Formats: sequence, C-alpha cells, structure tokens
Amino acid sequence: MDLPPGENGSEALVEARTLSRRYGEGEAAVDALSDVTVGFPSSRFAAIMGPSGSGKSTLMHILAGLDRPTSGSVRLDGAELTTMNDRDLTEMRRDRIGFIFQTFNLLPVLNAEENILLPLSIAGRKPDREWFDRLIDTVGIRDRLSHRPAELSGGQQQRVAVARALVSRPAVVFADEPSGNLDSKASGDVLDLLRHAVDDFGQTVVMVTHDAHAASYADRLLVLADGRIVHDGESVTADQALDLMKAVG
Amino acid sequence: MLSLVLRGFVQRKLRVLLTAIAIALGVALMAGTYVLTDTINHSFAGIFQTANKGNDVVVSPTEALGSQTRSQTSPVTEAMLSQVRSTPGVAEATGAIFTPATFLDTQRKRLTTGGAPAFVASEVPARFESFKPIKGRLPAGPDEVAIDQATAERAGLKLGQRMIVAGSAVAKQYTIAGIVEFGGGESFGGAGAAVLIPTEAQRVVGEPGRYDEIDVAADPGVTADQLRARLRAILPQTVAVRTGAQQASKDTSNLEENLSFLRTFLLIFAYVALVVGAFIIFNTFSITVAQRTREFGLLRTLGASRNQIMRSVVIEGLLLGVGGSVLGLLGGIALAPGLDQLFKAFGADLPDSGTVLETRTIVVSLLVGTIVTVLAGLPPALRATRVPPMAAMGEGVEIEPRVLTGVGVLIRGLLAAAVAFVIAALIGSGAVFAVLFVVLAVYVTRLLVRLVRGGRPARHRIVPGLARVIGVLVAWRGITGRLARENSIRQPGRTLITAAALTVGLALVAFVAVLADGTKATIDRAVSRSFAGDLIVENSQAGNQQGIPALVAPAVRRVPGVASVTPIAFTQGRLRGSSGNATIAAIDPRSFEQVYRIEWKHGSNATLLGLGDTGTVVTKGYASSHHLKVGKTISLLTPSNQQVSLKVLGIISDNVRLLGDITISLPLARTAFGQREDALDFVSYAPGAGTAQVQPAVDRLLARSFPQARSRTAAQFKQDQANQINTLLALIYVLLALSVIVSLFGIVNTLILSIYERTRELGMMRAIGTSRRQVRQMIRYESVITALIGGVFGLVIGVVGAVVVTSLTLSSSEYVQSIPVGTLAILLVVAALAGLLAAQLPARRAARLDMLQALASE
Repeated sequence: MDLPPGENGSEALVEARTLSRRYGEGEAAVDALSDVTVGFPSSRFAAIMGPSGSGKSTLMHILAGLDRPTSGSVRLDGAELTTMNDRDLTEMRRDRIGFIFQTFNLLPVLNAEENILLPLSIAGRKPDREWFDRLIDTVGIRDRLSHRPAELSGGQQQRVAVARALVSRPAVVFADEPSGNLDSKASGDVLDLLRHAVDDFGQTVVMVTHDAHAASYADRLLVLADGRIVHDGESVTADQALDLMKAVG
Repeated sequence: MLSLVLRGFVQRKLRVLLTAIAIALGVALMAGTYVLTDTINHSFAGIFQTANKGNDVVVSPTEALGSQTRSQTSPVTEAMLSQVRSTPGVAEATGAIFTPATFLDTQRKRLTTGGAPAFVASEVPARFESFKPIKGRLPAGPDEVAIDQATAERAGLKLGQRMIVAGSAVAKQYTIAGIVEFGGGESFGGAGAAVLIPTEAQRVVGEPGRYDEIDVAADPGVTADQLRARLRAILPQTVAVRTGAQQASKDTSNLEENLSFLRTFLLIFAYVALVVGAFIIFNTFSITVAQRTREFGLLRTLGASRNQIMRSVVIEGLLLGVGGSVLGLLGGIALAPGLDQLFKAFGADLPDSGTVLETRTIVVSLLVGTIVTVLAGLPPALRATRVPPMAAMGEGVEIEPRVLTGVGVLIRGLLAAAVAFVIAALIGSGAVFAVLFVVLAVYVTRLLVRLVRGGRPARHRIVPGLARVIGVLVAWRGITGRLARENSIRQPGRTLITAAALTVGLALVAFVAVLADGTKATIDRAVSRSFAGDLIVENSQAGNQQGIPALVAPAVRRVPGVASVTPIAFTQGRLRGSSGNATIAAIDPRSFEQVYRIEWKHGSNATLLGLGDTGTVVTKGYASSHHLKVGKTISLLTPSNQQVSLKVLGIISDNVRLLGDITISLPLARTAFGQREDALDFVSYAPGAGTAQVQPAVDRLLARSFPQARSRTAAQFKQDQANQINTLLALIYVLLALSVIVSLFGIVNTLILSIYERTRELGMMRAIGTSRRQVRQMIRYESVITALIGGVFGLVIGVVGAVVVTSLTLSSSEYVQSIPVGTLAILLVVAALAGLLAAQLPARRAARLDMLQALASE
C-alpha cells in the first residue's frame, strides 16, 4: 500500500501538508523542514530515516504536537494541531498520542506499574484492567511491576516505556530512536513489540531511527535529507536501507 | 579560578541573587538594629545636651539602686535650694521639676499615644529654660500651661483651649497659654511636655516644696568644676552634684543602658535569621557541588589540585558573603526607620532624627555576614575536594561520605566548638553564644548519630516517614500529589536541611507561643485563686508601669457600695551583700487579707498586722535563694539611699507573683522607700452591692478626678494581662517572620535546583500530556510537603523545648503548662501557605520549560 505524498490524504490518520520549519532568523536561519507533505494511514508502522540534521526529529516533533511548524498544517485523527492552544495540544498528547523515547524517560520515583499507568493518572482516568493485563503480558514485565526503574535493565525499562505509550490506546505512537540505547537483543525485543502492536492491536506507529536494522521492522520507509522527503516506499531489508542512506549521504 | 567563579555567577544570576538575599536579610536586621539604636542614642544625647546647656552645675537625687530605680520622693528641698543660692560663686539657682504625668483632652482622651511618655516641667528662669514659646507665652499663673508643639499638633490643640494634666494630685484643667519647642528645635522624641509654673508643677506631681533637680549657674570667673566642688562639700549624700556636661553624659549613658536591652532583643532575631541563612547557604552549596561533580572531575583530570577546587568553592562563598552583606547593610539602613515604625505600632515611641551610621555598624555587618556565609559553604567545599577525576567520565558518581571514627567525631566537634567560641568572642554577645551553642549541639548530635548508625544518617528514615504521612494530605490530588511526595523524599538530606531552615523560625515561634500561653494560664489561675476582691483600679496604661495616685484609694473608699479598698505599691530594695535589686510589694496590713488569699508557708494573716516599720514577709523562692529564715533580720538599701533593718516574720508561697520577693507595710514604703504612688487598688463591695452599680460609680469618680486610672473586674484584669502578653507576642512574631522569610528563599532555591536536575523528567511528563497546571501543582505540593516537614519539626522542637525549659526553671512557682493548640494548628497552616508562596516562582519556571530542550538535555 504505497501512498504517494499528498494522495489519499483523507484516509491518513496523521497528515502533514506543506510543512516548513525554520529555526533562527535572517542570514543564520536554518530550514529544518521544507515543504513536507506526508500522510500516515491507520494501523501501519512507518520508519523515518535520515542523517543527522535531515529534519527527521523535527518532523516527528511537529507531527506529535511538541513543536510548531513555521508554516503548513498537521491533522491528527481529524484534529488540526497547528492552530491548537497549549491546553488542547497537551490534552491531545495525553489522550491521542503515545511516546517512546531513546532514553526511556521513566520516572525514577515510580515503580514499573505506576510508570505504565502514568498517562492515565495524569488524565485522572481509571485503567482498563483487562487491557492493562494484556499489555504487560505482551511486553513481558508482569514479574517486574513493583520494581523501580533503577532496578530494571535497559531493555526492561524500554518495554515498560512501550507499555506506557500503549496504555491509553492512543491514535498513534511516536517512537524516537527506541532502540538507540539498547544492546541488539533488547533492541530486537522492543522492535518486535512495536511490530506486534501494529499487527495485533492495530496500533499506528511512527518511528524515527538512524538504525537500518530497526527500520527493517517497519511497513514503510521514509528517508529525509535536508528537510525534504527523498524516499518514500515499502519496507526494505536492512541492507537496502543502508544503501538508501548511503545514497543520500 | 576567580574568573571561572565570576562567570559561574553570571550564568546563575537568579540563584546567586536568591542565596545572597538569604544572608542579606539577617545582616539587614543586624545593621538596622545598630542604625536605629545609634540614631536614638544620638537623638537623646542631643536632647540632654540642650537640656543642660544653661547649667554649670546640676544637683539631682543620688540613684542608690541604679538609674532604673529612682525614689519617687526627691531629697531636693526648698531648704537645699536656699543653701545652694547662698553659696559663694552661685550666680543663679533654680529648682526644676521634670516628672512623668498624663495629658488628656477635656473628653478624658489621652493626648500621647502608645507608650510615649509625657512630662510635667516647671518653668525656670530664662538662662535655664529649654522650652521656647513659638506661639503664645510660658504659663503665668496656676491655671495656665504651655505644651510642646508635637503634642499640640497631634491633638489639634490651639491657644486658649483647655486640657487636663493628671499627676499625683486630683486632675485639673488648664488653659493653653503657649505652644513651645524644645531647645534648638530638635525633636523631643515622641515624648510630650507640659510646662507649668513651679508651684503648680510641684502640686501636680505631688511634691510640694521639693524639686527633681537644682540647676545652678556660676558667677563669672568661677568654673563649673570649682562650683561643683564647693556644692559637693556642703550638700548631703542623698544628692549627686555634677557639672552640666557631666549630667548630660550621665543622662545619655543611662539611656544607652536602657536601650541596650532593645539592641540585644533585636540582635537575637538578626542572629536567628543569620543561622537560618547559613542553613540555606550550606544547602545551596551542597546541591551545586553535587550538580557540578562532573565539572570538578574534569578540572581534576586537567590537573587542578584539591586545594584549587576547594579555593574555587570558598571564593564563591566569599564573594556571595560580601555581596549579601553589602546588600544587607544597605537594606539595614533602609530598614531602620521601619523598625522604628514597628515599635511605634507596638506602643514604644522612640525619638530619631537623621540616620546615624557608625563605622562599627559597617564593619560588624560585613564581617558577620561574610564569615557566616564562608563557614556555611565550607563543608560543601571540603566535599568538592573529594570528587575523584573519574567523575569527569560518567554521570552520577556518588561522593562517598567518609566513614567516621570516634576520633574523627571528637576532632570535628572540638574544631566546631573552637570556631563557635572564636566567633562568639569576636562578636562578644551572649545571644550569639546561645545561638552558636544550639547549632553546635545539633551538629555534635548529628555526628554522634552518624557514628552510632555506621554513617547512615537518621534522616533517611525520619524524612521519608514524615513525608509519607504529610503526603496523604495531597495524595487525594492524584498523580501530582503522589509525585510531589516521592520527589520530596528523593534526597532526604536536602529536603531535611531545606525544611530545617523553616524549622528554626517555627520552633522559636512555637516556643514563644507555648511560653506565652502558659504565662497567661498561670496569671489566670493566680488571679482566680488569690484575688478575693471585686474590682481592681489601675493606670489605664498599666503595661508601661505607670502607677496611680495614692489619693485614689481614699476617694474610692467613699463610693457607695464599696466596703474596703486596699492599695498595693511596688518598689525595690537591695539586700545587703547582694548585687541585684529585690522587688518589694507594699501593702496595707489591715485591709489586705480581705481581698487577697495568701498561701502561707510560715505564719498567718495575723502576721501581716505585725509588719509595722520593722517586719517583712518574704516569698519561699527568695527565702531559699538568699538563705532567709523566720526570725532573721535583713538589711535593705532603699531607692532613697536609706538602710532599713527588717525582721522576717513569715514566708509565703510565691505562685501568684503579685507580691514580689519581699513584702513590707505601705507606711514604711512611703517613708523609707520614698514611694508616693500606688500600683493597684483592690476594691471589695459591701454586702448586697454588685458590679452593675458600683463599677459605674467608681468609673465616674475616676473620670472626674483621676482620668489616668480605670477600674477592672477580675475577668477584665485577666484579659488585660493576656492582651499585654499578646502584644509582646505579636512583636516577637513579626521579628521571627524575617527568619521564616529567609527560609522561604531556601525553599525557592532548593526547588529551582531540583527542577533543574529533573529537566528531562519534566520534559517527558509534558510530552506525554501533563498540563502546565499539573506541573505547577506538582511543584507546589512538593514545596508544601517540605514546608510542613519543617513545620512539624519546628512545632515539636518548640513545644518540647518550652515544656522542658519551663518545667526545669519554673517548677517551684507552680507554672501552669498550657499548649495553644489553635495557635499551633494555625502555624502549620502558615507553614503550608509559606511553602505554597515559595513554590510560585519555581512552579512557573517548571511549567514554562521548553519541552524539546528538556528532552534533548543530557
């Protein structure tokens, strides 16, 4: 299901149109994104690759409502993000978006269970016990629930973080280098989990990575260079992805 | 290294400022105290110089018991004045009166407010006169008065209007003939003055034929010293003879002596604030040293020595100390008038003209502020030297606390004691010593606890426990409350010291509150138990230790429905062989037992009848501390410089503390002690008469003849006593509030530093949908928890301290323990609100955090 940029936009769960993001002003201005239009349909796993400074992180931040574009629009699950005020945007992130960070970012003062439930606690909502049970069995940390992050390995922490991202059944999960801080075994576990979430839960996942192996878990690969999409296609093998990256230098 | 420190300051402007303020506030109170008291001293010195400028020699009563205790009956008589006048070399001599009295308008409203004194002055010949008419003239007859400009302006009195002067005689109305100013127009302080013709002044103050002093001018060619010597040779020892200059400096030094109490009182609060400031310096430095572990590790890797690391931290403390002290000194100069206003608000009006900044104020303020800062920063500086070069490599290298040995504790303890002693000796104040002693005791206890627990401080159990309990209060707020609680116990040591700063202030507040409540309860019970009368007549400003005329008692006795009136007077005396003054109560032996229940240890009410001029009854406490027994004869020096011998006839229990150390008969007090006024009159009603009829009748009499007095029922009297204590309490609260404010800066500082450490966490929380409001809430709750930990510790220490101190020192006097639960509860609420207030700035900063930067920061 190859979606050329801009086409079938109405079917996309997350959709960016003519996004530009400029940092600084005048001579020193840098265009992190230039006129990017892209859509992400539901229940698919997309990987965004690109060299440092290509704008891949900026794109993800804007799609996730963490940053605002200089121009262009972002629709997420039917809502326009770019015109939202901070409060609505915060609620949007809380209820409709899940996040997975490279450095796990668990709260050290809470145990694993509390960390997983954090988005619901912030929203003041009761967890759906059945969904929670299914989730922790999926990520395999049932016997670690009462442990604090300091007592968990990196892989376990990231699995907790994945569960945290999924617990509120968000419309979309954004993962920022989710395997960047993990050894290959743990990294594979976490990527399997994301794949699993897309296949079995119908979750939509957008992942930024510079790791070709990680990208090979996705359904679709986007490559950014100098703030523009230079490749958008079906998933590829790790080797193919590496070649693509070499091509954009 | 210095440039590195300075650059660090610029980068951390806000924190440097907050930390500097923590020390500046204490210094400001200290400098303000010096400026205020110096200014007051200076003003009075000017007043005394003006008052004595026409006097070559002054003859005044000998102060046998010190300047604070003067006989109310002057030994300076008309006969003495004639004797002076006939001495060769005397050009002119005059008797002068200058005695406290009460001024009222014709509606019986006092003209001087608060505690400002008012004086009756007699008109004196021009060359001695310090008061100059600026409107009208000096009084010409017994019905005329000239009053000072300030009083006239305040009360809106004009020439020709009438006013009342109430002294020891029946109050009388005078026509205002003139408005006068003092000397060269200097402020006469807040005091009022009414100038009367000499005979009228004598009559008003109840000393016909007597003067407060004799002012003498010498003939040309006779020096003041020569004349002084001549007069000294012929005048009795009941008077002192001084030159005008000597008299002025004697008056000034008397005043300075009186004011030194005020200075010490205020300085105690300044030192408390400084101790709290020291906590904050210590905490801030500890946190920054911990946060800069990597930086120090890097410097060490690059070859910096331990000494250089230490020096960089110490220099930081030094600069901060100097900066904070300068800020404090400037603040103090600005604060001095504020302190003056504070005392005015609490009823003590003190004169101050201009601002006197002595070198001593500058030196002491800068020195104390800087030393305190550097000392508080020293332990963290030492800690910084233990950062290993390895720390540059990774994150979170823990600096291991050194394992303490018994010898280590001893050395540290001795070192701390030596430092404390040197500081105390340098500043030379008992108050500092006391504060240092407390700090030292806490420090040594902590070391010992660490030793016993093998280096694991007790706070690792107490603080989390307390935080968990307090956390219940905010837990209902959901995740923000929960996180606030967890965050507050993340670094128990840091939380404890932050809270401890607040603890110091609140412990003192609680201590004073408990003490005051107990004192009120004690008075309450004493009055209920001992007072058997129906009404008490006292000066309506009894708090200022002003009495009522002896004429009141006989006048009240004639009011219908009054069965008996017994006057009580207070004076002082010095037991032979003792250096301090004993308080003496003088009673009317025949009527006293009818209104007062004495608890006898030896003797009975009949003993009182035997007092006469040779007997006395002493309290149990005084008897035991001075080894007195029934039958023993004691010798007392009186304020009018006489020796009286008294036989101890009985011993009473002193739980009431009304009677003073020694009780004598009123006639003896009038003669040998020169006591003219009474302090209180106890009134009892005739059978069938009630307060409803008698009190209004008594009040009518008082308003007509003695408007400075008022009548109180036992309940009203208790309330008055309570009100007086409350006023003092309020003053102490205001001054302790400064320490609490200082500790708030500590909370702000710690929160800002903690938020800085948790930048990533906050960024993540915002990213996954925590609202700015929730972030603010979380920081606020954390602050409230910290403040409440400080509050709980403070209350416990304060209450336990007060109970222990009172049971140790006041056990014999039947002190009534009373815990003001309501006040303590309010204190906790105040602590919580203070925490809320302190969190405002940090909470806003945390909520405004740039998410992307926060997430990117390593």
